Amino acid sequence: MRQHKGQQEPYIVFDDVSYRYPGSGHAVKKHPYVLKHVSLTIHRGEFVAVLGENGAGKSTFCQALNGVVPHSRGGRMRGRVIVGGQDTQQATVAEMAQQVGIVLEDPEAQLFTTSVLSEVAFGPENLGVDPGEILRRARWALEVVRLTGYEDHPPTALSGGQKQRLAIAAALTMHPQVLVLDEATSQLDPLGTLEVFSVVRELNEQYKMTIVMATNKGEEVAEFCDRVLVLHKGELIAQGTPREVFADTELLQRVTIRAPQVSQLALYLAEREVPADKKRPADEKHPLAAGCSLSAGCSLSALPITLDEARRGIVQLMRGAD
Amino acid sequence: MKATVQYVPGKSAFHRLDPRSKIVFMLLVTFAILIVQNLWVAVAVLLTLVLFWGLARLPFSVVADLGKAMLGIVVFLFVVQALLYPGKTALIQPVIPRFVPFIGGRGQVTLEGVLFALLLSLRLLAMVVVLPLVSMTTPVHILTLGLVRLGLPYRLAYTVTTALNLIPILQIEAGVIRDAQRLRAFQVFEKGGFLDKLKAYPPLVTPLIIGAMRRAQLMAIAMDSRAFGASGNRTYIQDIRMRAGDWLFIGFSILYAGAIVAMRFLVR
Repeated sequence: MRQHKGQQEPYIVFDDVSYRYPGSGHAVKKHPYVLKHVSLTIHRGEFVAVLGENGAGKSTFCQALNGVVPHSRGGRMRGRVIVGGQDTQQATVAEMAQQVGIVLEDPEAQLFTTSVLSEVAFGPENLGVDPGEILRRARWALEVVRLTGYEDHPPTALSGGQKQRLAIAAALTMHPQVLVLDEATSQLDPLGTLEVFSVVRELNEQYKMTIVMATNKGEEVAEFCDRVLVLHKGELIAQGTPREVFADTELLQRVTIRAPQVSQLALYLAEREVPADKKRPADEKHPLAAGCSLSAGCSLSALPITLDEARRGIVQLMRGAD
Repeated sequence: MKATVQYVPGKSAFHRLDPRSKIVFMLLVTFAILIVQNLWVAVAVLLTLVLFWGLARLPFSVVADLGKAMLGIVVFLFVVQALLYPGKTALIQPVIPRFVPFIGGRGQVTLEGVLFALLLSLRLLAMVVVLPLVSMTTPVHILTLGLVRLGLPYRLAYTVTTALNLIPILQIEAGVIRDAQRLRAFQVFEKGGFLDKLKAYPPLVTPLIIGAMRRAQLMAIAMDSRAFGASGNRTYIQDIRMRAGDWLFIGFSILYAGAIVAMRFLVR
């Protein structure tokens, strides 16, 4: 099970943050705020997922981390967002860009040059970094995202996964401490998603980068994340480890989020197949969990079921049997 | 419109020129074209620009596509100038048959009007051809750098060159929207009449504009997140340098534009 990281001072602090977009006060009278009284902390080196249905406020939350909200989007923000000791409302977006890198959902909208090298150099060039230093950073960033050798390729010729990895590299050359991914894998196929997640995990584990990822892909959250934040209509309604969050079926139904399939199976079996007195002791790992990358967020490891019982359960689940 | 004016990689002498010399050429020639008054001079200018196009080894199909894209404007010019230009040699008179009540017997198409419309069309086509000579032989980031080195603020230079990049993106988006319409049996562009096609443009243009605005908003967020415009001393990993050949080309451009201007006064 992934251990909760970081006992240092919190690196990111949301202090009773509420935000509404410009003009929304008239358009939506009852609920003009897209973030409402959000308070939380994130420690350096944590890998945090932000879950929520469409319109929950995930993108706004992500963009609040680097000051795009409210500087570029306008609107009204209450409370404070502190990142690395900097108040995002006091610092400019350019200053925050050196603390927080962001990767957006649409690969096409965030690549604006004609070569991979010029794409990753774009950010440091804007900051006036020495060209020699820019090239050094570019080489490092392309190596981290496994795009070495693609320097002269046009970004338009890359696959979806490669484009998002390029977007990550373009953020890395700014030397951020935090990487924010705003549904960065929603438009990717499973292979592209895996490519992006493996790069992000390496950044988190090897380079101790803090990762904040807005997503609805439960399997990846269970495998990679230390902590899950759940947003619903702009409010932070739950946070905890993936296991804690995905075990709360009422919560998931309320916010229409799907738990990882293996968790759904485990809960289904727990309700129908296994008597309570046959539960395995908490410290004894189930043989099926050994070597399974999803075991960290999985309730299955707590159940004393055999492979045959699991197969029967899966078949019943797929048939929709009661 | 299929024409795209995006960069086409190549190794011609035109490709190797410094962007500043090419920009100066484009500005001088555009200015000179604007004051051409003689039809034969306009034909000569257009033919020399097409020759440059060949020297740059750019595909001539783009010239043809640009011409087709200008067709609507050219037709409009012909109609307006032929009817309204104060010429003396009537080709068609009256334009409106006499039997038409109230307005019958009016209007004339003159030879001078037709020739003036032809001159305007050739000038327009020449101006449209000279810009791609620069944009198709220069990578966008080099073109931006060229504009900056000529004194344009970086933000403005980037805006100008980004607009060039957006044209093919909008063409692709328009294609996607039309495919989606065809999938719902909307085939007006293929089978409809002129008025039907005219009415079909709002359902195409509206989502295109909304999509473009959304994309622009996301691009702005991404650019802000990479400190766009943050420093007054922006650096560049790739720099440009004027060579002897660039200065010679600028000298040639001045002579070429000067010759076109001189024709304005020497040839009537």
